[in-house]
Amino acid sequence: MSLKFYRRVAFGLSPNDKPDKDPFNWALNQLDTIPNLLWPGIIPTEKELRKKYGEWVYGDREVLRKKFKNDKHAYKKAKDELRIKTGERYFELNEHAIRHYQTKYSKQPVFERFWLFWGNHFAISEKDFLAEFSTGPYQREIIRPNMVKTFEEMVQSVTTSWCMIHHLDNSESFGPNSKKGMEWRETINENHARELLELHTVSPNAGYTQDDVIQLAYIMTGWAHKWDRKNLETGDIWFDQEMHQKGDKIVLGVKYKNDAKRELAKVIHDLATHPICIKFVSTKLCRHFITDEPTEDIIYPVIEAWNKSNGSLIEIHKAVITQAYKHNENTHKFHPPEIWLMQLSRMFDLNIPLSSEKMNYSFSSKPNRRQRQLSWILREIGHSPYRAKQPNGWSDFEVDWVSPELLLRRFWFSSVELPILVKSGNRSHDFILACLKNNFEDHENMASLIENFRFGTLDYDLGQKYGVICNLPGVLKV
Amino acid sequence: MNCTRRNFLIGGSTTLFLSGYFPKISFASMQKKNLIIISLRGGMDGLTAVPVIGDKRLKKLRKKLILEDVLNLNSDFGLHPKLEIFHKLWQKNQAAFVHATNIPYTGRSHFDGQNLMETGAHIPYKEKTGWLGRGLLASNIIGKGLAISLPMPLLLRGVPQNNNFFPSPDFVETKLIDQIYNEFKGEHNELIKSTLNTIRQRPLSMQIATDSDDRKKLALEAAKQLKDQSGPRVAVFDLDGFDTHAAQGGVDGAHADELEEVNKIVTILYENLGQAFDNTLILTLTEFGRTIKQNGGYGTEHGYGSAILMAGGLLKKSQVYTDWPGLKKKELFEGRDLNSTVDSRAVYNSAMSICFNQDPEFLRKEVFWGDELPDLSQELFKI
Repeated sequence: MSLKFYRRVAFGLSPNDKPDKDPFNWALNQLDTIPNLLWPGIIPTEKELRKKYGEWVYGDREVLRKKFKNDKHAYKKAKDELRIKTGERYFELNEHAIRHYQTKYSKQPVFERFWLFWGNHFAISEKDFLAEFSTGPYQREIIRPNMVKTFEEMVQSVTTSWCMIHHLDNSESFGPNSKKGMEWRETINENHARELLELHTVSPNAGYTQDDVIQLAYIMTGWAHKWDRKNLETGDIWFDQEMHQKGDKIVLGVKYKNDAKRELAKVIHDLATHPICIKFVSTKLCRHFITDEPTEDIIYPVIEAWNKSNGSLIEIHKAVITQAYKHNENTHKFHPPEIWLMQLSRMFDLNIPLSSEKMNYSFSSKPNRRQRQLSWILREIGHSPYRAKQPNGWSDFEVDWVSPELLLRRFWFSSVELPILVKSGNRSHDFILACLKNNFEDHENMASLIENFRFGTLDYDLGQKYGVICNLPGVLKV
Repeated sequence: MNCTRRNFLIGGSTTLFLSGYFPKISFASMQKKNLIIISLRGGMDGLTAVPVIGDKRLKKLRKKLILEDVLNLNSDFGLHPKLEIFHKLWQKNQAAFVHATNIPYTGRSHFDGQNLMETGAHIPYKEKTGWLGRGLLASNIIGKGLAISLPMPLLLRGVPQNNNFFPSPDFVETKLIDQIYNEFKGEHNELIKSTLNTIRQRPLSMQIATDSDDRKKLALEAAKQLKDQSGPRVAVFDLDGFDTHAAQGGVDGAHADELEEVNKIVTILYENLGQAFDNTLILTLTEFGRTIKQNGGYGTEHGYGSAILMAGGLLKKSQVYTDWPGLKKKELFEGRDLNSTVDSRAVYNSAMSICFNQDPEFLRKEVFWGDELPDLSQELFKI
């Protein structure tokens, strides 16, 4: 077993981590429980942040826009002040710190890799102010607790979460024959229904039709945020019978009798246990950890574990790890920028994220440069995790991450920015050699490539070394 | 407003096909032709960019958004004062507009709409390549795409070896890349290796660090590359911020700020392409237009029909090309949006046929699955 297994299923070994005698069981044993979030700073609840979201949109839309109708400049100034007061520019930075702290220090890093996977499978893309206030807590409070339950339970939670409902407009979907639909002459918005089929469960492989999408959208009508004048769209999710389409519905050939709010759980059960869904999601899991194009014999044991355990995510995760272990030597997997950064941070004990004390925010001035640093790096290397451009999240295919500029950004980060993040006690050449030895079988060959710079300890010298090390094929990939 | 519906879309366009298409092999077609697409994300309001003149209904519905100092185009249409370069080029037959046009998408979702404007398809997320990438591939033009963005835009995907330019905040020493280039061995490293090769072959001017938020510098570099006879033939710019739900304003509002960005890019391209501008087409692309009526925040909502702004020496003449649907309630799409009477993919297909010296009929089949897209080359472009 080569050391790359620690990067294939986790983030590599930190200077304090020692290789385990039994890496396979080391990985398997990390999946039964949910590790606590370790971040010592503030971890606001989803509800608290939704309240902030409400203050921000209400203040902007209902107060400032009306007050400064005719004065673009005054409007901009007042809006910037509101940003500071509501933390509009701050909370996402704090969420990135929570996330990176976790992947850096967690004793269950394998669990954390699955956390990143599911958060991206049920992605919230860049829309309105979700990245600013909601996507982080959604990852913590909706995705994470479900990782020891079943896939079906995960889909149920996600589908009725405020964040996903807002993201995919289900609050704007009215059954055309519902009370409100008739009164206001409104109709369905298919967005959420389409993504529930296409991205979250069965995928287009199931061969559903536009009619299936419409029928599912009918079932989903009524699941909406409570709206009021003060909180606008940030009220809790409830089931509004007056928006719900009456009558029976048929999705993928299955009839769902008129049963109000209970219809959704039934259809999700059928979708989440559909053989095509199981195959689709199993394939995605194997693609994430093993190789871009996993073969049938890689995927099949995962499907089998899924069926045997009735979709228990613990068992599914273990099956994926088993396959990742089995195919560790004969497959290659390219890592997207954020995972690459997390691995560098753990392997070389970089000075990110900022300490929790320094991340504290006073709501009286803009977050400072140091507080913005990690999020800025993520943006500059092209992978700001809560700002996927589309609801299908970030790609797991190498081809999407290899453009000249995206590769150059990694060279830039490792040769220019990374040296600034090296802790003062870790600037010696021997430290780098020890980290390489900890993580790579061919550490001697890697060391020979930076031998020329061995006596330098200035930022520039470190840049020369890390610039080479971090972009070698065996580091960009496992 | 005396602009009436014209039925030019019937007939006319097919005659070219029936008479057979023979690409002219002349000196002009030997010259490299550039196609530049500027994506306007968020939904560009065609009625702000190219307002219809003297329409009482529009005046009534958009009291706070009416422009004071509209530049004059013709008796029917004006031009937003921030689009000066288009006005200047209009005098020289080097600017034109297609109005009441959009991709065939009426869903009003940015995500779906932007996906479709790039793939050119009918179902969001179904296609994984862009119409421009497929057009280049079908025309066997490889490695000639240049994107001014960090990832490779969907629009250009489908053809290998494209370059992009969006430099990092600081300089990267090329010797670093040279130093490890040979470490990339084996089939599974081919993609990275060939991309590193693209980087190594970049001209010196593309190796500089600059501020990627400075669109001026990016446009300047793009112009320099496009001017080079052996350089890229296609460039893609990305602008966002057109989603003006509030304070859209008239001459100085939020939408005007975005149009000013378009104006800047086109100005830089015009001033720096020199002679190459004569062999260039610049076209804008957006996911939808915006509602006729202003909303409570003096902005507009997501709509349907919009406009395509065009510049370049390959345009036939200055014109507002439209099959104007009218703005009466019953003439609007779902009673609220400017209708689309020209499938904008027809414009892009025709533009590709001009710039890639390709039969439009062939491209229509290869790129747009044979969808009914009339050839507009004769109407819009120099052929």
